[in-house]
Amino acid sequence: MTAELVFQQALNGLSFGALLFILASGLSLVFGMMDVVNLAHGAFYMLGAYVALSVVQLTGSFWLAMLAAPFALGLLGFALEPLLLRRLRGRHLDQVLLTIGVSLVIVDVIGQVWGREVRSLSAPAGLDGSVALIGGVYPVYRLFVMAFGVALAVAMALVYRRTKIGMLIRAGVEDAEMLGALGVNTNRLFASTFATGAALAGLAGVIAAPVFGVQPGMDTDPGLLYSLVVVVVGGLGTLSGAVAGSVLVGPADTFGKVLFQDVALAVIFAIVALVLLLKPTGLLGRIRIAR
Amino acid sequence: MRPFLRWALVAAAAAALVTFPYWSAPWASRFATTVVRDALILAIFALSLDLLVGRAGMPSLGHAAFFGAGAYAAGIASQRLATDQLPVTLGAAALVAALLALLIGVLVVRSEGIFFLMLTLALAQIVFAIAFQWTAVTGGSNGLAGVGRPMLASLDFSAPDLMYVLVAVTFVLVALAVWGLARSTYGRALIGVRENERRMRALGYDTARLRLSAFVLAGTIAGIAGALSAYSTRFVSAQDAGLGNSVRAFVTVLVGGAGTLGGPILGSALVSLIERVVPSLLPTDLRISDAILGIIFIAFVLFARQGMVGLGRFALLRVSRR
Repeated sequence: MTAELVFQQALNGLSFGALLFILASGLSLVFGMMDVVNLAHGAFYMLGAYVALSVVQLTGSFWLAMLAAPFALGLLGFALEPLLLRRLRGRHLDQVLLTIGVSLVIVDVIGQVWGREVRSLSAPAGLDGSVALIGGVYPVYRLFVMAFGVALAVAMALVYRRTKIGMLIRAGVEDAEMLGALGVNTNRLFASTFATGAALAGLAGVIAAPVFGVQPGMDTDPGLLYSLVVVVVGGLGTLSGAVAGSVLVGPADTFGKVLFQDVALAVIFAIVALVLLLKPTGLLGRIRIAR
Repeated sequence: MRPFLRWALVAAAAAALVTFPYWSAPWASRFATTVVRDALILAIFALSLDLLVGRAGMPSLGHAAFFGAGAYAAGIASQRLATDQLPVTLGAAALVAALLALLIGVLVVRSEGIFFLMLTLALAQIVFAIAFQWTAVTGGSNGLAGVGRPMLASLDFSAPDLMYVLVAVTFVLVALAVWGLARSTYGRALIGVRENERRMRALGYDTARLRLSAFVLAGTIAGIAGALSAYSTRFVSAQDAGLGNSVRAFVTVLVGGAGTLGGPILGSALVSLIERVVPSLLPTDLRISDAILGIIFIAFVLFARQGMVGLGRFALLRVSRR
């Protein structure tokens, strides 16, 4: 590989990593608060992309889609939590199983409403070109994705550390039951958390659409698969874990695809295996996912 | 019921099941034989998964990796080794599935509950993605066509009725094995691991090894189910190894009733009904069998966690109390 190619692939890897952060942060947030791994997260991501598709078709505005999709998914999450998950509060494994059913329903409904063909969504005007970068040209949209991922991480960190909501989230991650005993309405807190997780998945769906397309199967690959890999590698339930996981997995996957082509995912398999064996909490997590 | 009578009934039921295409010929269609055959393959697959989910308390969402590994191994072995002999191709399927289960098992048995589920899902999905992309070996997204016929010496099982018999006999053997296993010391030790692993460790059991052995055993049986599927359609689809198939087996086990012999079997009957019979009753442009499965699954998780077997027991109890 030439130096230019390495540089380009590094950028590709980092922009993929930024996207993975947007995708995985929601999964990690919900787990941190509710101890539920939302297996419908990939389906939420997929639904976000399809909602964006329709919004762009109707209004022609990508930016409006970027608002509408997270909003729609947030509403869905806000409705689903009390409707389904709350009934099984405390039975975490069963709550996780519920999300499998939710995912089956959402993916089939998407197929029925939007069809089962491969669709595409182009980057918004102004971001659809390329710029000259060391030794070549590079698509502006991927740089935008990178910047957006970084901005979102910074914004989330500020909310966590500096706001009352962030304080509630940190307390809830620590011990949600105690928080309830102190008079916080945990029902509302859990519903809002689940809604935020869904909205983040929807946002990831919009942002990913111009790069990865909109098609059946995107709910598992990249949706659910990569968000799980990121949180396992980085560590569950912490913001820094989601950042670390994304920054590692994004470039590793990109370089794996260049170097090993067909068996690229063996690289990801090896990383997950190594982390599990050497650091069972994930790189920056606190919860042991393996003995 | 007297043991003798009970065994006689079981033997009669097994004989009736195995000979289904012959006695049903006057009134049932060939389609019925195909549907029952595929339901039995799903039942073998679900029985193997239930060893983990129901008996050992290991909720795996990656079981299709082993089903797919068995299917690919049987297909690839028949082509590369240029043999149609069932012992060779089925042996290859069992061996490859067992080795893959050992590789993944070593990593995942150190986890429990939600984490176990998450890891089995992720690792199995990576295996699927490799199978999906590695066109040179697996045929990639086109699938693997031209799987060899299952032959035993000069007996060709690829004829539809004989194919059914092969699947049904395997199903009966697997069901008997699972029945025997549940009553063995090993099966009871697995239940002990599910109920209270620390206590089992204190009693001197090597629980990690118990869990790993269950994982490999379940993976091997799933591989055999995969090989049967490959023989039946003479084709392996990458989706056989994918998350959709894992979820399908998991739904089958839970809706039927985890930790019971009848549960996975009843569940596979219901799932096959929804997948194969219900679509023919709906308009052709309405493809919502997954959504129906999803809603039924949600209902069972919310209201009847013990599955159809649990509902049946509950109903029996109500009747006998009256």
